[in-house]
This record gives sequence, structure tokens and C-alpha cells, in this order.
Amino acid sequence: MDINAQMLREIVEQVMQGIQGTEQPKRTIPVATGHPMTLVEKGEAVSGTRADEVVIALAPAFGKYQNKTIVNVPHSDVLREMIAGIEEQGLQARVIRVLRTSDVAFVAHDATKLSGSGITIGIQSRGTTVIHQKGLPPLSNLELFSQSPLLDLAAYRAIGSNAAKYAKGESPTPVPTKNDQMARPKFQAKAAVLHIKETEHVVPSAKAVGIDVKFN
Amino acid sequence: MSQEKLIEDMVREVLKSMTQAPQTSQAPSKAAVQGLTPDHDYPLAAKRPELLKTPTGKKLSDITLENVINGEVSPKDVSIAPETLRMQAEIADGVGRTQLANNLRRAAELTAIPDNRILEMYNALRPYRSTKEELFLIAEEMETKYNATLSAAYVREAAGVYERRKRLRAE
Amino acid sequence: MKRSKRFEVLAERPVNQDGFVEEWPEVGMIAMGSPNDPEPSIKIENGKIVEMDGVSRSNFDFIEQFIADYAIDVTVAEKSMAMDSTDIAKMLVDINVSRDEIVNLVRGLTAAKLVSVFNTMNVVEMMMAMQKMRARKIPSNQCHITNVKDNPVLIAADGAEASLRGFDEMETTVAVVRYAPFNALALLIGGQTGRGGTLIQCALEEATELELGMRGITAYAETISVYGTENVFVDGDDTPWSKGFLASAYASRGLKMRFTSGTGSEVQMGYAEGKSMLYLEIRCIMVARGAGAQGLQNGSVSCIGIPAAVPSGIRAVLAENLCTTMLDLEVASSNDQTFTHSDIRRTARTLMQMLPGTDFICSGFGGIPNADNMFAGSNWDVDDYDDWNIIQRDLKVDGGLRPISEEQAIAVRNKAARALQAVFKDLGFPEITDEEVEAATYAHGSNDMPERNVVEDIKAAQELMSRGITGLDIVKALANNGFSDLADNVLNLLKQRISGDYLHTSAILDKNFNVISAVNSRNNYRGPGTGYRMSDERWDEIKTIRQAIKPSDFDV
Repeated sequence: MDINAQMLREIVEQVMQGIQGTEQPKRTIPVATGHPMTLVEKGEAVSGTRADEVVIALAPAFGKYQNKTIVNVPHSDVLREMIAGIEEQGLQARVIRVLRTSDVAFVAHDATKLSGSGITIGIQSRGTTVIHQKGLPPLSNLELFSQSPLLDLAAYRAIGSNAAKYAKGESPTPVPTKNDQMARPKFQAKAAVLHIKETEHVVPSAKAVGIDVKFN
Repeated sequence: MSQEKLIEDMVREVLKSMTQAPQTSQAPSKAAVQGLTPDHDYPLAAKRPELLKTPTGKKLSDITLENVINGEVSPKDVSIAPETLRMQAEIADGVGRTQLANNLRRAAELTAIPDNRILEMYNALRPYRSTKEELFLIAEEMETKYNATLSAAYVREAAGVYERRKRLRAE
Repeated sequence: MKRSKRFEVLAERPVNQDGFVEEWPEVGMIAMGSPNDPEPSIKIENGKIVEMDGVSRSNFDFIEQFIADYAIDVTVAEKSMAMDSTDIAKMLVDINVSRDEIVNLVRGLTAAKLVSVFNTMNVVEMMMAMQKMRARKIPSNQCHITNVKDNPVLIAADGAEASLRGFDEMETTVAVVRYAPFNALALLIGGQTGRGGTLIQCALEEATELELGMRGITAYAETISVYGTENVFVDGDDTPWSKGFLASAYASRGLKMRFTSGTGSEVQMGYAEGKSMLYLEIRCIMVARGAGAQGLQNGSVSCIGIPAAVPSGIRAVLAENLCTTMLDLEVASSNDQTFTHSDIRRTARTLMQMLPGTDFICSGFGGIPNADNMFAGSNWDVDDYDDWNIIQRDLKVDGGLRPISEEQAIAVRNKAARALQAVFKDLGFPEITDEEVEAATYAHGSNDMPERNVVEDIKAAQELMSRGITGLDIVKALANNGFSDLADNVLNLLKQRISGDYLHTSAILDKNFNVISAVNSRNNYRGPGTGYRMSDERWDEIKTIRQAIKPSDFDV
């Protein structure tokens, strides 16, 4: 048994050594389309030092390859309201784009490491939004707005405002959660398609980029 | 036993010894093996209560409302002992649920690890959280500090897979 | 075009508010039989799988490696894989072939081979197979208890009513994550008020969920998600190894746990690799098996809108439930999320699991109105209780529920709300007023509840964690305030983790805290007259509905 086992061990070890890594497929990036707001990408997003900033982290296609949410709210208006919500609390909004993932939790979680206050808002093109905080597990959050079809401009402004309050160390009352049990039957397949379209623009391992937002 | 079966069994042994650390340290757990069978001994609480002890050595019948109110029951008293998990693994084997049985055997080892350390180890095993070295250190800690050899082998295996699939934390 | 009046009426029907899409295999928007699904194959060398479904070992992604090394039994694989898929399907529906025989054969099958078996079966055949393959002899049911305000008093009352109605497991989750400890505490107390032995869980981020379990606030966990492609698994922030470790971590604390997965999740998360939803889901089931989980919640679950939008999607959902039982796992078979505006369609979808019976027919029948369902709405809710009960009665099928009287419901709701009120007071949490107790007793949903101070509640919920409060503290608080029966029940629930009997496949507890699982209650269905047959007592319970006119109601 010993000798045979030794032989077998060698064979098995050879097989184990034969296992090698495979490359991730590179994703191609289509040409951008025009929008009523201008997003200027400024290279790698920097780590913020100001405790009075909230970082808004956009998913790969937001305002670039897609320009409205699942219920056709223009991205430019969404961003404007979130920024206004932050500013009305006397804080600064800084916008970045996360490229390595299209998952809203990770988009926001990545950004927490760059946010001076540790507070971020992550948003996908379809409109799904989360308020995140540095130190929380990625799939945890401060507030999650998973039902994108129910989010209107007032909600986005309130999300901006609440994020700013967290950044100030306050404990705001969470933005009232809306619930529509018929959102899934109506929108889930469309939501999946929009997400697939967003995910096509993921660039594995890419660093987040800083963005200058200009409203025309 | 056919020649084919013999070779199969040998391969299984070899693989086991490769993916798991040496079985010698498992000797104490073997002592817990009771020759339990599903039909005769399960559920243990009803059929073999005499075999059940809390990690603090209390009997199931010691855990009463009265004793809780008197403060004689601590959270550690309402948790499972490694021997119990190994007995339940035997029961699982008895109904052909090999993987569940192996899970319960790994769980028996993990009973020694404190709650917060378990949570940290779990988080370390998530994608992009750890370097290979960090995972190996956890495996070593499991082995040396907690005598958790099956779990250590599992973590080392994960480290290898994460390396091949580029799921380790990039430095 | 001049409109047809019939088409105009049809356009207004609920079903036409649903979303439908054509098959789109390139992105995985296809339920079964994608042209990109692999051909079944297996090669074993020296006891190790070196090729599986056309992929060589060196190219295995992490899911494939895990399946090959942990889920497939190499001693039977070559024999099983050599069998014709149609022959395997015929064995599934043949009452002369035992469950054990199938389980032993399935140990050796790859994901692609299992898919090829289901591709030959229609839904009636799958239901026949389900009746035989379900692990536990007795079917059961699970509910959701949540509300949009995370109102703990209402959760306690709703939990009490639901457990009285027969749910053996209850699941809560949160609108706001930081409320979680209160939701779990409220459900723990509510669940034990309706009937002792009800198991409760709180669906949260993995690590947090484990922590609540360790504290003894929850009794089991289900939100241990696994996925069918490596990219989606990573987006879910896990790997098969981290999930396997988590499975052992739960067991090491004596906690029941099942995994969760479902068709459509990979499409939803954007990385389906062009494979069919069913193929990817079967990989998930095999990961669950390989990790040593006792069971799995599947049936698309929260992604149901996706398979439901494509042809044969609801058939695929049944196939994935069936596959779970064939791999000898407990199945909590979804039927838990809204996917249609049509009452006809949602009933048809549920009959697939309700008629043959599964370990948990719904893994979340809404024990609250749908507007309060923080899993975004269930396929069934409180307003459907009587429909469900009457379907059970019409067909003499055990769907796990029973009719109750209004008086009984009011009584247990009130008791649970008062018990929570006392525990909050005892532990120094924000006051629950008598007005709130009264409102929760008679409420339909959270709209009937007075507002609570959310900020104070959240702060106190965090305190519950930071003060290190455990299940034993709840036991004491209940006993100190005249709820010794509930204290006893909570303690008995905690004691389950000493014996670990309920760590086994398909375990539930009866009202005396006896474990009923697929070890001591194994499904032995072998055709008419065998397997689970309703007892006379159970049939009396189901058929006695308050709505029925009795002979004594007539003068003659």
C-alpha cells in the first residue's frame, strides 16, 4: 500500500500543479453618448481629506452610457437633487465613478475608502441607491433603496440630505422606505436588462475616477 | 473487494491526507464516537440524553427556567459541545449525508474559536480580503491554537484556489 | 387600426401588467436549454475529477472546482453519468424506484447531466418526482413577518398570529438595517406566543445574521446566498469556501442553517455567461450540497420576475426545487415573492409545490399585508389566508396552515404585544405604550400603528448588541414579568443548540419541541397509500372552517 500510495500521491500532485490561473476576459467600452449634463473624468479619484464631504459614487454606465433611471428619471436631475440635498446641509458633494464593479453595494463601499467623511452614496444607472459608511461590511449599509422604480427626485434629494447628516455625525430619521409589491412583476426583467447593460462597462481592477459635474 | 475498488479507496486515502492535515490530532475526537445509528439514537435529546453535555459539563436537564432565573445558566451553557457535533456527524453519516457530516466535524473544531474571531475568519475568507500569507496564518492559528486541522486544511485549500482565480487581496 | 373590444378588455387584465421578454440566450435570459449550456461529461483520474461538463480541471472556475471536489461522489460518477437522461427521468416518476436509489444515483451526476434530465420532464412528472423526493415526510410552511416601519410591537403580534396559523418557520428582515436586533427580538417573542417551537430567523448581511444567531436571538439562518457564476459569487461578497466556512460556523454554535439561491440571480446581477438559468442554479445546489449545508432555499426567490418573464420559467423553478430534493437537501421552495399581477398566475405557480408538498412550500408566505413586506411583497399575504385554507380543504392537501378563529388571533396578538412591552421595559428600551399594544392587537398592517421614535429605537437596538444581551436575558425578562410560559418556550428553543438534533436535514420542531427531520421522519413515498397521509385530526383541522354552514344551522 505504501509504495502504491506514494505513486498515487505523485500523480495527484502533478494534477494539482497542473491547475493554473486563467485570465479574466477584458470588457470593451463603447463610445459615449451625449447628455444634458457634462461629466468630465479627471483620472484616478483621490482620497478625500475633508470631513465635510460626501462622495457620490456612480456605477460604470451612469450618465455616460445610460442617461435615465428605470422609470425614466433623467440622470442629470437625479445627480442634481442628490448634490442639492448634500449642500443644503452645508456639506460638499464630490462625484466619482467606480469602474471595477456594477454592484451598488460595492460601488458605494469602494468609495467609502475615498470619502473624507467616510459617507458615500452609491447609485446605479437604473436608480438603485445606497448610503454607505466606512467600516461597514460591503453588503451592509446605512440606508438601502433597492426598489429603483419607486425613487423619485424628492427621494434622491432626501437621500443626499440624509447622507450629509450622517457625515455630520447626526442620526437622521431614515428616508421613508417605499414598498410596492408589484414593482417586481412589472420591472424586474427590465431591471435585469439595464443591469446587464451597465455590467458590460465594468473594467475589472480599474481604479475609480474623479468626475467634474457641470449642469448645462 | 475488487481491484478497482481497492485503488479507489487508496486514492481516497491519499487525497484525504493531502487535503487534510494528519489525522493523529483527531484521536481525541475518535474517542467520542459512540457507534450511533439514526434509527436507534436520534433525536439524541429524546433517545440518548445521557450522552449530551454542554461545553461547561452540564446536563440537558440542568438547563431549567429556575436555574436561568437563579443565574446558574450562562450563555456558554446553551451552546453545543464538540463531542455532540461529532455524534450528530455520525448520525448524518448513518443516513448517507457525507457532506453534512463533514460540515459538522469542521463545526466541532470551530466550537473552540471565540465568536468574534470566527466572524473575523469568515470575513478574511471573503474575496479580495486576504493575501495568501494571511490565509495561511489563519490556517496555522486554527491548527496550533485550536487544534482545528480539518478547518485549517480547508482554509489552505481556499488560499490556493483564490490564488489561481485571482481572488486574493492585491497588495 | 380599429380596436377589437375583446383585445381592449384583455389589455386591461392584470396579467397584461406583468413584464415578459423573449428568450435572449447571449445574456442568459433563458430558463432552460440555452444553446450555451455545456454537454454533460466527466473524466476521473486517480479519484479526482479532471474534466467536468467539457471543462478541464485546469480551467475550472472556483465553483466547478468546489463541485468536483466536494459535491460529486467519484465512486459512482462514471456509472451514473453513463445512464441515459430519459431513463433517469423515468426512475424519478416510477413509484417502484425508491428515493434512496435516486439519491445514490444523483450523487454521481454533474450539473449539465441534471439539466439534461429535467429537459425531458414536464411539470406533472416533476411534481410526481417531488412527492417522492422531498426529504421530510411531512410538508411544512414558512412565513415572512416584517413591516415598512420596522414596528417591533406589530412584528410580535404578527409573529404570534402566524405561528398560531401553523407556520413552522418565520423570517423577518428590515427596512432599516440598524433596526435588526429589535425585529429579531420581537419575532422571537411573537413566534413563541402563537405556538412553542416555531423557528425564527432575521435575514441580514451574512456576518450580522450570524452574530444575532450566536446571541440566541434567532434560531436559524437562511440568507447564506450562493451563486452560479464566479463573478456573481464575488459580487455577492463570498466564495464557496467562505460560505462553507460559514456553514460550519453556524453549526459550531448549534444553529440550523440553510443556503439560498435561485434561477435568475446571475442574470439579475449581470454575469450569466450565456448559460440557462436552470444550469446555473443547479451549480448552486451542488455548492450547497458540497459545503455540507442541510438544506437550500431556492425557486428563484427574489429573482422570480426574471424566469417568470421567459418561456418555461415557472417549469424551471419547479425543476430547481426538485433538484434540491434529489441532492438530498431540505428545500424551502420559494413561492415567497410577487411576480405577477394575476391571481390566476400566482396560484398556478404555487400549485407546483403545494400539491406534491415540499419541506417549506412557501419560504415566505406574507404573514403581513404585502405593503408591509420588506422582501418586496410575497406571492401570498394575510389577505389570502382563507383562500389558502380553502384550497387545502378543496383538494385535501396539506399546505401547512390551519383555520383559526378571530378570538384566538386577537388573544395571541395581544399577549405577544404585552410580552414585548414587558421585555422592553425590563431591558430599559424605549417604552411600548398600552395604546401601541391595543393597536397591534387589532391591526391589519403598519398603517394602523402609532408612530414610534425611530431614532430612539435604532439607538436602543444597537444597545441590545453593545450590552451583550443574549437569549437568556430575554428568558429572564419574560419570566420576571409573568410570562413564564413564553420564557420556557424561548429557553427550550435555546436548548436546541445543546443537542444539535435540529441541525439535520429538514428539521422543524413540534409544539413540544420534539425535532421532526429527514432523519426520524424520512419520506417513504412509494405510490398510493404510502408516504405522508393526513391524519384524521389534521383533516378535521383543515376541513373545519368558520365559513361553512353546519347542519345544525338549519331548522329542519
